[in-house]
Amino acid sequence: MSSSSGLQPDPSMIGRLVKPAFALLPDPPSLFRQRAERFAMLAEGHDLAPYLSFLGALAAVQADLAARPPAPTPLPAEQVERARANAMPPLDRAALGASAGLRGTIAQFLEALEPVDMPAQAAEALRSLRQAPPSVLDEMIGNVMGDAIPFETLAQHLFLSAAAQVQAARLAATLEADRLVPLDTGLCPVCGGPPASSIVVGHQGAEGARYAACAFCGTRWNEVRIKCLACGSTKGVGYKSAEAADDQGGTAVEATVKAECCDSCRSWVKILYADRNPSLEPVADDVASLGLDLLMQDTEYRRAGFDPFLIGY
Amino acid sequence: MNMELSRRGFLKATGAGVAATSLGAMGFGAAEAAVAAHVRPMKLANTTETRNTCPYCSVACGIIIYSKGDVRKGEQADVVHIEGDADHPTNLGTLCPKGAALKDFVQAPTRLKHPMIRKPGSDKFEQVSWDVALDRIARLMKDDRDANFLAANADGLAVNRWTTTGMLAASATTNETAWTTFKVAKALGIVGFDNQARV
Repeated sequence: MSSSSGLQPDPSMIGRLVKPAFALLPDPPSLFRQRAERFAMLAEGHDLAPYLSFLGALAAVQADLAARPPAPTPLPAEQVERARANAMPPLDRAALGASAGLRGTIAQFLEALEPVDMPAQAAEALRSLRQAPPSVLDEMIGNVMGDAIPFETLAQHLFLSAAAQVQAARLAATLEADRLVPLDTGLCPVCGGPPASSIVVGHQGAEGARYAACAFCGTRWNEVRIKCLACGSTKGVGYKSAEAADDQGGTAVEATVKAECCDSCRSWVKILYADRNPSLEPVADDVASLGLDLLMQDTEYRRAGFDPFLIGY
Repeated sequence: MNMELSRRGFLKATGAGVAATSLGAMGFGAAEAAVAAHVRPMKLANTTETRNTCPYCSVACGIIIYSKGDVRKGEQADVVHIEGDADHPTNLGTLCPKGAALKDFVQAPTRLKHPMIRKPGSDKFEQVSWDVALDRIARLMKDDRDANFLAANADGLAVNRWTTTGMLAASATTNETAWTTFKVAKALGIVGFDNQARV
């Protein structure tokens, strides 16, 4: 008998509406592994191939590090409950920045990056970072925790951000997703950071729901569609995407990466349509769609998505 | 509230024209320039996503209408796709087969967009103005009500009954519209009546 004869109708699979989960916590090794794979895939034949390949190698190092024992100590239960009661982020960035665990991760990360192929400027930044005195490092870590990156030392901060992502994602993974509460529009419910981009997912139980993706701790959280992630306004939200100038609109494939623009606060955040292209990854595809950022620079809108790998646009 | 905005604005201002970007700082300036050259001949196309309510039945599912073009930017917006609104508490993104085919309903060449009349003896509908249509409906309603209105029942008890005309009102209406519709129909004494307010 064919295997299909064993199929029994399951009425529970239809007619039942499931509310999409509020938060999706990261599984750090697979988060960075999938990101590395997506970077490698995007690099093929891409104008930005050297940078995408480099970030792919960086994400692969992050993935290795994220799987390396010992696992970080879970966040104190008391702190998590206090944050929950007061609608504050349970992952305290200041405490993370001061922790010895983060410094250990940074040291391991910088060492693991040695064999990675990179341009002279990046290699020089990496070398200076490895020799940086603790006081300088402390200040830079503070900048990374505050998402306030000084433009003079972007390269050093990029490496530190990548190392912090590993530690933050591992801490976020120790939380319980169904115990998280919404903080405010456009704020990560784990670390309070802004999203890198948002993604419309197509997985079962959340078809068509939109999740904002935090670049810092890798958490994704549900946000209402057609709403500005910078100011929360639902008025005057429109979408812009790149198209060839001679395009007549007839045969053009609908873009799967768009800029969600808000006329209330004049800012924009990328939105990725993974319901139409399941390969999209919030950080990798944010970098790979740099062309959209360059086009958006000529508009009256300002980028509100924060991605430490794509600063200055 | 995402406060990153102001910091980035500051970053740009302090940059004072210096190209301070992640790619430049990491030594990938050539790749950045390649992307810039690639997108230079391109332009930004506007699309919109608009929330609405499915007009078919009184369940009133939430829908998102995708259009190419943005009316707010002075463009023509053409509906390209309609799907269920995942954020809507009633349907959480799902739609019935009729709702899922809404785009064809919107763009159907046979869609009713104006009042139409088929005159007695005619075999086709003709378009008429709203004034003509409303005058004619009011006239026919008045004549029918004057001829058939029941002011008292068999026992002589005073009633408000108009049984020879029926009314079927729309489903995708607000509570207020439904309330007003109900009041108009019942004040006239219409007995045969169905409307969203029933639900």
